[in-house]
Amino acid sequence: MKLDLSALLPDSIRPKAPIDAALDDVHLPGPTGANFPLPDVADVDSFERQVVEMVKPSHGTTTLSFIFQGGVIVAVDSRASMGPYISSQTVKKVIEINPYLLGTMAGGAADCQFWQRNLGIQCRLHELNNKERISVAGASKLLANTLFSYRGMGLSMGTMVAGWDHKGPSLYYVDSEAQRIKGERFSVGSGSVFAMGILDQGYRWDLSDEEARELGRRAIYHATFRDAMSGGTVSVYHVTKDGWVKVSGDDVGELHYHYYPAE
Amino acid sequence: MIDDAGVHVILTSIHNSPLALFCITFFTTGNFVLFLRFNYLGSTMDCLFGISGDGFVVIGADTSANQSIVRMKTGEDKICELDQYKLMGAVGDGGDRVQFTEFVKANLSLYAFRNGVPLSTHAAANYTRGELATALRKGPYNCNLLVAGIDDGQPSLYFLDYLATLHKMNCAAHGYCAMFMNSLFDKHWVPGMSVEEVMKLVDLGIAEVRARLVVAPPNFLIKIVDKDGVRVLAERKTATEN
Amino acid sequence: MEAISHAGAAVGVLSKEGVVLAAEKKIMSKLLETSKTTEKMYKLDEHIAAAVAGITADANILINAARLAAQRYMFTYDEPMPCEQLCQHLCDTKQGYTQFGGLRPFGVSFLFAGWDKHFGFQLYQSDPSGNYGGWKATAIGANNQAAQSILRQDYKEDISMDEALKLVVKVLNKTMDSTALTADKLELSSVTRDASGKVVYHVYTEEELTPILEAANAAAAAAEESSS
Repeated sequence: MKLDLSALLPDSIRPKAPIDAALDDVHLPGPTGANFPLPDVADVDSFERQVVEMVKPSHGTTTLSFIFQGGVIVAVDSRASMGPYISSQTVKKVIEINPYLLGTMAGGAADCQFWQRNLGIQCRLHELNNKERISVAGASKLLANTLFSYRGMGLSMGTMVAGWDHKGPSLYYVDSEAQRIKGERFSVGSGSVFAMGILDQGYRWDLSDEEARELGRRAIYHATFRDAMSGGTVSVYHVTKDGWVKVSGDDVGELHYHYYPAE
Repeated sequence: MIDDAGVHVILTSIHNSPLALFCITFFTTGNFVLFLRFNYLGSTMDCLFGISGDGFVVIGADTSANQSIVRMKTGEDKICELDQYKLMGAVGDGGDRVQFTEFVKANLSLYAFRNGVPLSTHAAANYTRGELATALRKGPYNCNLLVAGIDDGQPSLYFLDYLATLHKMNCAAHGYCAMFMNSLFDKHWVPGMSVEEVMKLVDLGIAEVRARLVVAPPNFLIKIVDKDGVRVLAERKTATEN
Repeated sequence: MEAISHAGAAVGVLSKEGVVLAAEKKIMSKLLETSKTTEKMYKLDEHIAAAVAGITADANILINAARLAAQRYMFTYDEPMPCEQLCQHLCDTKQGYTQFGGLRPFGVSFLFAGWDKHFGFQLYQSDPSGNYGGWKATAIGANNQAAQSILRQDYKEDISMDEALKLVVKVLNKTMDSTALTADKLELSSVTRDASGKVVYHVYTEEELTPILEAANAAAAAAEESSS
């Protein structure tokens, strides 16, 4: 068999691939001989910066989490937006770090996904080294320390680390400013202010499991109703001593007609 | 173009005007990135104050953890117990505040383990100043501090801001609260105050902040350090903790 | 270690009011300007001084390191460096040179005399291996065994500054080869505190030394007399 080494040959004697031929028609700004196309704009640098901002979706979000006697409830919406454009209605904003730990996603989707998966690795290594699961406090501190070392470098994350450890249910808020706070209820994202209202009014420590799940669902629903950048489906997770379970995933439209039936 | 030193003079004089600050940083392109990181509004909304008395120092701080306009928590302890006879109150960006106080606390413990004797409050304050000053030129810590302690029964209180200015004070405050509290402290502070007298002054300050400051925090935690060590002295609450 | 036991002796005695250091001068020449420089007494910081036995060139390196460490400490903490820490710092450096091949250890023993707020007046001794310890009275250099046995005999818990002064001179008098002590054969210094609490390091001049030495020589002669 003969190896195709044509890619290594100089431009002048290389046989033209169909894609190169197509590019001949494209207007290429910049120095001659650039053989990859650049966007046809006056200032490539600032254009690139704008694009980076645009493809960092999920700035509009509603996520919430709270602890109560029956464990932790984590509820999120599923909309991803890039400015005025809804880029997805089915984003998974709960990141399953391990069977006992959940993370939520607000801010840069890629940042959240990458660093929480990184956190998953660190947590697993902790388990292997110490023969016991990492506490929620420990896991959130690992994340905060990671984010602290990247502070001021453009990361954008507002995340909750929730789970069940040897002390019971536990919840931390960690953001890209490396702020890490322990609490019993948090809401993060553009719709958080709306969800917070419902949450604060309906919250009690001794909520039953079903009441708690419904409170989370209802709070996210109301946030999606008022916040244009939140929507899609409402996912509710429940963490108990046996680990997390996904309780429900309801389309906000259906929820709306469920809560306010058409007359 | 304003030079580096010039910026700092202006920074300190208009500490609390985010807009003016932005303009200055904008025109000094050299330090643009460095200073833009600071969230001036966020850190100055925090409240931290300290008053020294007869054989003791009291440090008070609000207990709010904020994220933009949302109060995420009202039970945050911002006064770190460095060792048995030292307190360090810190306000500033959440991450920087915790990371820096933990760093200082760990290093003071290390010193005590290594040398068998703890650092004096004066030495600890100077050490902290040095660390802040080194950090100022490379990814600075945006937090303002008060360091208080007892050495051989003698109380001392140090004021330390994020630009690494260190002063030994009788009473001191940081943030917007300082605007309201400093004048009251100046008027009412006298040498040799008792704990009761100091707490009256603290309440006077908190009342003024609550009456006049638009973004007044709801809850305060007050700690004391005296010959018996450090401990929580009082709480002043208007909101339930969460 | 071998070099140290042949080096000029140095003696230190600790009292409640201060610390006395004395050292034997080896270099003697009429042409040497003795009044301006000390041979083996060094002030490390305002509150601490050291006496040296061993290779002076090696000592200079370590003295320089000690002075730097003391100033660094002052820069970081705005407080004078505690005596033991300074001693320990130097011993850490010394130890480093015993651990790896290819380098020669520092051939120096030190006596440190100083005052700090933690433990008051202190006297430390260090050897080339990097060992150090706190002492009430000790000697390094030639005949240090003999010197130490005299110190053991004559040291009292509540020794005064004057007595300490006499003791170090007596020890040197007995352990040095020469018959009678003269001011150009030894260096004497003290670390004390003045009325305001400031630490004072004082090196005795020839004029100050002479009466002390004469008294010591007289006492030694008297002792000789009575024993014979």
